[in-house]
This record gives sequence, structure tokens and C-alpha cells, in this order.
Amino acid sequence: MKRIIIFFAMASLLSCGKDDGTTDTEYPVIDIAYADAFPVQCSTIQRGETFVFRAKFSDNVALGSFSLDVHDNFDHHTHSTEVNECDMEPVKTPVKPFVYINSFEIPGAPRIYEASVELTVPADVDPGDYHFMIRVTDREGWQTMRGLSIKIQ
Amino acid sequence: MKIVLGVVAGLFYVSFACGQGFRLSGRVTGGDGAPVSDAHVVLLGTGRQANTGKDGEFSFAALAKGSYSIRVQKEGYRSHRTEIRLERDGQQIAIRLDSAMHVLDEVLVTDNHVERRKQHESLNVEVVGRDFIYRNLGGSLMKTLERLPGVQTIGIGSGQSKPLIRGLGFNRVMVVDRGVKHEGQQWGADHGLELDQFAAGEVEIIKGAASFVYGSDAIGGAIDVKPESPPAPHTAMASVDLMGRSNNGSYGTSVRFGGRGSRWFGDGRATYQRYGDYRVPTDTVHVYDYAVALHKQHLRNTAGQEMNLHLTAGYLGERFNSVLYVSNTYNKAGFFANAHGLEPRRVDAGMHDRSARDILMPRQQVNHFKVISRNAVHFGAHHLQAELGFQRNFRQEFSQYVNHGYMPPVFPDTLGIPMGLEREFDKFVYSLNVKDHWETGRHTLTFGFNGEYQDNAIDGWTFLVPSFDQLTAGAFVYDKYRLNDKTLLHAALRYDHGSLRMSAYRDWFPSPVDDSGTQEYLLRAADLHRRFNSVVWSVGINYDPADAVSLKANIGKSFRMPIAKELSANGVNYHYFSYEQGNPSLSAEQSYQADLSAAWQHGGWRIIVSPFYNYFPNYIYLNPTARFDHYYGAGNQVFQYEQSRVMRYGGELQLSRRISSALTAEVLAEYLFSKQLSGAKKGFSLPFAPPPSVLMNMTWAPDRAGNPFVSLDYKLVGRQYRIVPPERKTDGYGVAALQAGYTVSVANQEVHLNLQVQNLLNTRYMDHTSFYRLIELPEMGRNIVFSMRIPVGIANRNSIKE
Repeated sequence: MKRIIIFFAMASLLSCGKDDGTTDTEYPVIDIAYADAFPVQCSTIQRGETFVFRAKFSDNVALGSFSLDVHDNFDHHTHSTEVNECDMEPVKTPVKPFVYINSFEIPGAPRIYEASVELTVPADVDPGDYHFMIRVTDREGWQTMRGLSIKIQ
Repeated sequence: MKIVLGVVAGLFYVSFACGQGFRLSGRVTGGDGAPVSDAHVVLLGTGRQANTGKDGEFSFAALAKGSYSIRVQKEGYRSHRTEIRLERDGQQIAIRLDSAMHVLDEVLVTDNHVERRKQHESLNVEVVGRDFIYRNLGGSLMKTLERLPGVQTIGIGSGQSKPLIRGLGFNRVMVVDRGVKHEGQQWGADHGLELDQFAAGEVEIIKGAASFVYGSDAIGGAIDVKPESPPAPHTAMASVDLMGRSNNGSYGTSVRFGGRGSRWFGDGRATYQRYGDYRVPTDTVHVYDYAVALHKQHLRNTAGQEMNLHLTAGYLGERFNSVLYVSNTYNKAGFFANAHGLEPRRVDAGMHDRSARDILMPRQQVNHFKVISRNAVHFGAHHLQAELGFQRNFRQEFSQYVNHGYMPPVFPDTLGIPMGLEREFDKFVYSLNVKDHWETGRHTLTFGFNGEYQDNAIDGWTFLVPSFDQLTAGAFVYDKYRLNDKTLLHAALRYDHGSLRMSAYRDWFPSPVDDSGTQEYLLRAADLHRRFNSVVWSVGINYDPADAVSLKANIGKSFRMPIAKELSANGVNYHYFSYEQGNPSLSAEQSYQADLSAAWQHGGWRIIVSPFYNYFPNYIYLNPTARFDHYYGAGNQVFQYEQSRVMRYGGELQLSRRISSALTAEVLAEYLFSKQLSGAKKGFSLPFAPPPSVLMNMTWAPDRAGNPFVSLDYKLVGRQYRIVPPERKTDGYGVAALQAGYTVSVANQEVHLNLQVQNLLNTRYMDHTSFYRLIELPEMGRNIVFSMRIPVGIANRNSIKE
């Protein structure tokens, strides 16, 4: 009996300081602070035109995939994740808002990746305030998100 | 398995081999020598109990030779305990009860029955009474219990929280209320427990796997909330509780009325609480990078209210008793408005800040209605108990409509769903428990059956879990065998069957299903029927080698049936940016656990060490993958239910030292380590892993009239860097609290006063297991809690013996 208790006590004491240190607990990073990055907070996009989404992703081990989501924010309900705010148009009811949802695997599980995706905004969608959501995961499932406020004119 | 069956069979065999019988009888009298009828006599550790007759007499037949502890309780008298040695048949004893000073105080000033309870249970048990609840009164019952080592909570604002026992929670901890399993929406991190802490009598916490008594869901532990004791015979009573909290401007009251003849009684309790937005020690919180300014440090829209009603009536006879409980609890509380889940929200700050007490959207409201009938019959050596329960849990969550994913931009009014109704869960639960406690020789055998049927319906414009119905039934046998004065052996075996039937669900809006733009109303959940069978067991020992030392060990297997969400979820939780996928082929979760506990008590010292080791061959885990899904998941990260091997160990340490007759020092420490041994997150911890902590306390409680006390807590919590997506590393912190209490007498009326200052130094810290941890909200700032309890008694003179 005594031995079992001592064993348990030792086991719990020994384990206190132990941490394998092998698990990856770092979030991937989305970099849109360089010259070619687009869109950024408060960018404007023209209807009927094609633009290229460009951002740099990085992770300490291996990147997984990324996802893009453009949706209207005419009702001002959701907020961007950014420090500064952009000028907002008055609240309005959507008629034909632009919606774009797509996801992409990052090939080869690299540590650094520059994404570039061509997006076309149809000419007949509602202009106004939109959100541009960028999400990236690393191989372990850590997700980093940026929600940008943009305008479609 | 064979070994266990062998042990159980062996214990049965012994029971038939030594069924000899001695008779013990006795007479209970009061201080004046008059017989005391209806006193409750218990042979501790044997489960045997009796009530005295009109002549104050009681007797026990078929006892084995040996030493017994007898406890006699009767309202209006001090609880009495005595040790006797039974050496001959027909032995007699006389017991004289002292009258209690506070005859009408509804709080049972207990003897050491809690200690005895712990000593006769091989599992790790913690028992707290109403005094503990009053001293540590938190925003909810679970928050109040958080002070206990090995118990943590997931806090949701200031009025709600859910329990974690040694890091396991949700459907892995069973909550039993007045004998019946409490059923709400346990799976949700933002769902509190619908219990009224003022109506709780005594709370028993079983730390560790307890499936063999309680069935599925008690795999991580159980919290058994017992009802308040009924009024004393021939009295009418009332009690009034008043309570206020400074941090969130909370005020509340709970009023109880009751009366009892000799055997019939009835009582009622009503509780009302209202609280405003709670305050945190910061002016700005960051939801991602966006700085949210807080108005007067208030967390916008975290106000709430609670209204509970309880009606109880019953018959308490010598051989038969039956009590009917009817209760309704109602809770309404807001969520922090600047973020719904993890999703940053733009808010009309002016509207929210106009009042700190209004409850706007997003918010939740829950109504929980219960009818429980508890019955017990004593006959011969048997004590038969049966509980019949009905519950309805009705939960609604309201939020402004936001067209996430492919949802239409404008909410259609033709849908038949109210525009603000994001989610609704309507649950009907029917339960039946039957248990026979049978004393035979050195054995105390318990045979039991638990059955439950649930019918769950959903509504609202988001989808997470389909409607389902569920039937579970289990039967068990448990033997407690008294080997000798120092040793108790335990063995239990249980079989369970469960059946779950999920109903199909289709989206109410179309989504594209391929790149060509074809649109479909997505089938989120298909009709699914799963059955589960499980055999679990437990063996244990209590061994008290010396007066000062008591040891216990238990090893057992527990199980848990997967819940509907784990099997059939297929929806986007937009507020968490996650697309949760159930796994219809999950097997029932199993767990093997070894528990040890060693207690030593001597000369003012008391030390209890309780380590445990736990292994799950197939822990059900919601794994955040590296993938996104842009059809069914509307571009969100895929979270998939998987099963992996998990190892956990840890323990608690309780140390106390009586420094002088008035001064006591106490240290309560807890430690937990968990690790996934297989699967996608091999090497990672489990979510909501509580960091190690040490609570240091100093209490000054002189033996004076009015029972004054002052108590100071300092809790030191370690950092938690062992995290799993999507958690955040949490730094350690220290937080202090002060408690004080005193009973004054105003015009012959006792008034109990309690004062607490939680977060005494207004420390800014993050709690790793808080619901709001992921958006970096600090915990509640300094909070002064004042409560007052006034027991008013209107008694029939004849029954009170001064």
C-alpha cells in the first residue's frame, strides 16, 4: 500500500515539471503589410473588374490551407478584426450582394507561402461595405483570421 | 473482466456463508428523560438505519458481533454519536440527546457524518453543506463549489457556469438533483446549469469515474445535489435570504415557508436574482486587434436575471416516506455584445451603455421545469428507494440575424422562425430509478436500475445538432463488505443499454454544392439509429490501519455513450468560425481509472493526498483539422469528431493545521496532466485543461456566541501553456479573497450575516477555463458579496424541549 502511494506521489511530482515541448502551439501568421498585398483594411474594389488577392502566410512548422470569404456588411453587424476603422456607408438592405466563399489547400506544407487568387466581381452586385475574411490554418489545426472592411464601388 | 466477476461472485458467496444474527436494541431520550420518537438512528458504515417509535425505542436485528458506530439525529437536538461493542444477542443501550441551542435554524449543524461518508466510500468524495455554500456564495452553484480542490468551472459571465471535475466536464460530469439526473444542454460551453443554489441542502462531489452507480456520463465524476432538510416536526417555519453583489449590482432574495405535523410536511421556496453587466479591471478589451472601449469597465450586455420556484410536499413515516418536488427555474442572461462567440460584432454602444441592467441581444434564456417523486420503504433488512422524474428543459438563444455563408441576405418572414431566434432546444426527460439496499451479515448489497427517455426538438435559424430521442437503461449490483473493523471492500458491476435515434435535418436555404453553381437545400443530418451496450465494473478498498490514518483505493472501468452532437453534428458554428462534423460511427467512450487517497489526522494536523491515474482507449475529441470546407462548411475550418487514446493523471492535496483553538491554516492544491496518445493531436493536451493551483487559507473562528469568523484565501494559479487548438496560452496569476461571518440576535431573532470580497486586490487575470478566454476577456474585478439569512420559526411548544 505504502509503496503504491509513494509511487503515485513520485509520479505526480516528477510530472509537474515535465513538458514534452514537441507539440506545436504557434498560430500561423497572415502578412498583409507589404506593398503587393491586396486587399488591405479599407481597400476599394471596382465592380465588373478582376482583382488579385495577395497575402503572405507563414508558420513555424507547416502551413495547411486557407479560405477566403467576401460578404456584405450593409447592416454593420459584424466588425473587422483590425485596429483602425473605415468610413461606413449608411445601413441598407441588400438586394444582390456579392458573395464569394472558397478554400484552397497550400501544396507541400511549406513554412512560407504567398497566396494569389484571381477574383472577379460581377458588374450587377450591390455596391457598399463588405467584409473580406482571410483564414489560414497550419498543419496542426491552428487558425488565424483577419477580417478586413472593404468597399465595392 | 474474469477477475472482477470472480471478486463479485466471491463476495456474494461470503455473504451467504456468514449470515448469523445478533439483535441490538436501544432507547433514545431527551435531556429531561422523556422518550424521543422519530429520531433517526444509523449504524454508520453499514447502511442500516431505523427510526425510534413513540416509546423512543429502536432495534436492529441480524447484526454481526463487533464494534459499531451509532449516530442518532433528530431535529431540535444535537446529533449524537456513540461507539458500542456488540457482544451478545439482545444487547441494549441508552442514548440521551442534548437539545440544540438553535432549535429552528434550518441548517443542520452536523457532526462528523461527512468524514464518515468519506471513510466508507472508496471513491474520492467531497461533501459540502449549506454553511460552505453561504460562506462561498458565488454567482451560481458551480462557481460556489469551485473552491474545492479538483473542481473547476467554465464560467459564462457572472451568473452561470458549468462544472469541470479534474478537467473533465460537459457530458462527462453527471449532475444529480434530488436523486434524478439533471438534463439540460450539457454539451455547450456557453450553457450553465439550471440549479438554484439556495435550494441545495448538501452537495456531494465524486471526483473520478463513477459510472457504476450513475451510468453513462459520470465518466469524469458526479455532482449530487441533495434537497434541503424538511421542517422539524410540529413546527411552522420561514426563512429569508437576502443577497447583494457590488461588481454587477446584483441583488436577490430567497424565501422559504414550510410546516410539518408529525409526518406530513410541505414547504415552498422562491428565489429571485437580478444582476447587471459585470465589471472587469480594464477600460479596453481587444477582440482580435480591434480595441473595444468599455463603458465604465462594464462588459456590455452581460446582465441577467434568475427566478426559481420550488414546492415540496411529503410524508415521512417510520417505514415509508414519500416526497414530491415540483420546481421551475428560469434564467435569462446576455452574452458580451462586442463578440458573439469569437466573432467580433459592431454594436450600438449608446444603446447598450444607456443601462447596465438591460438584457439585449445576443442573449440566452432557459426554463427548466421538474417534477420528482422520491419514495423509500424499509422492510426487514431492506431499504428500497424509487425516484420518478419528469423534466422539461427549454432553451432559446437570441441574436440579430446575420447572413453568414450562403444564408439569404434578408431574413425571410415566411419561415415560421422568429427573426431573433438563433437556436432553440426543447427537451423532455422521463426518468425512473429503483434501488434496493440490503444488509445481510457483513454485506451491504445495493441492486439498482436507472432508466431514462429523452425527446429533443430543435428550432431556430442555425443548425448544430439534429432533433433526437434517446432511451437508456442500466442495472447494477454493488457490494460493500466489512472484512473487519479496519477494512471495507467494495465491488460493483453494471450493464447499460442505450439507443439514440437522430432525425434528418435539411437547411432552410440553398447552398452551392459544386463549382457549376448547382444549388441544393443541404441535408445536414441523416436519420440515424445507434445502439450501445456497456459493461462496467469497479473494485475498491477502505483500510484504516490506525486511528489517525485512513487509506482508500479504487480501480474501475467507466463508459459514456456518444451524444447526438458527437454522432450527427454537421453545421457551421459561425461564432467560432468552425464547421463541426459528427462521426456516426463513434463507439462508446471507455475509461479506466485508478484512485488512491491517504488521509492522516493527528494533533491539529490533517493531510489528505488523492492522486489518480486515468486512461481512455477511445476518448471522443473534436479535432480542429487543417482543412476548410467551402460547400457544407461555408468556408470554415473543419472540426471533426474523432477518438484517440488519452492518458491523464493528477491529484489533490488538502492540508490543514489547527494553530490555536481559533486559528486554522489550510492549503488546497490541485494538479492535472493530460495527453493524447494517438490520433491527429498526438502529444497534445485536452481542451479546458485546468492549470495547477494552490489555495492558501487562514481562518480565525473563535468559539464565541454568534460564531464569528474571518477567513482569507490566496489562490495561486500556474500558467497553462499545454494547449490545443483553438486555445490560447494563459499566464499564471494570484487572486485573493476574504470571507467573514457573524450571527447577531435582534429581538430574539437570529440573523446570520456573511460578507465576502472576491478578487480582493482587483487583479486583472485570465482564467484558462473561462468561456470568454478565447477573446481575451479578463475575469471579474473586485466583488463584494453580502448575504443575510434570517430563519424565522413558529413552533408548537410541545415539541420543543429546552
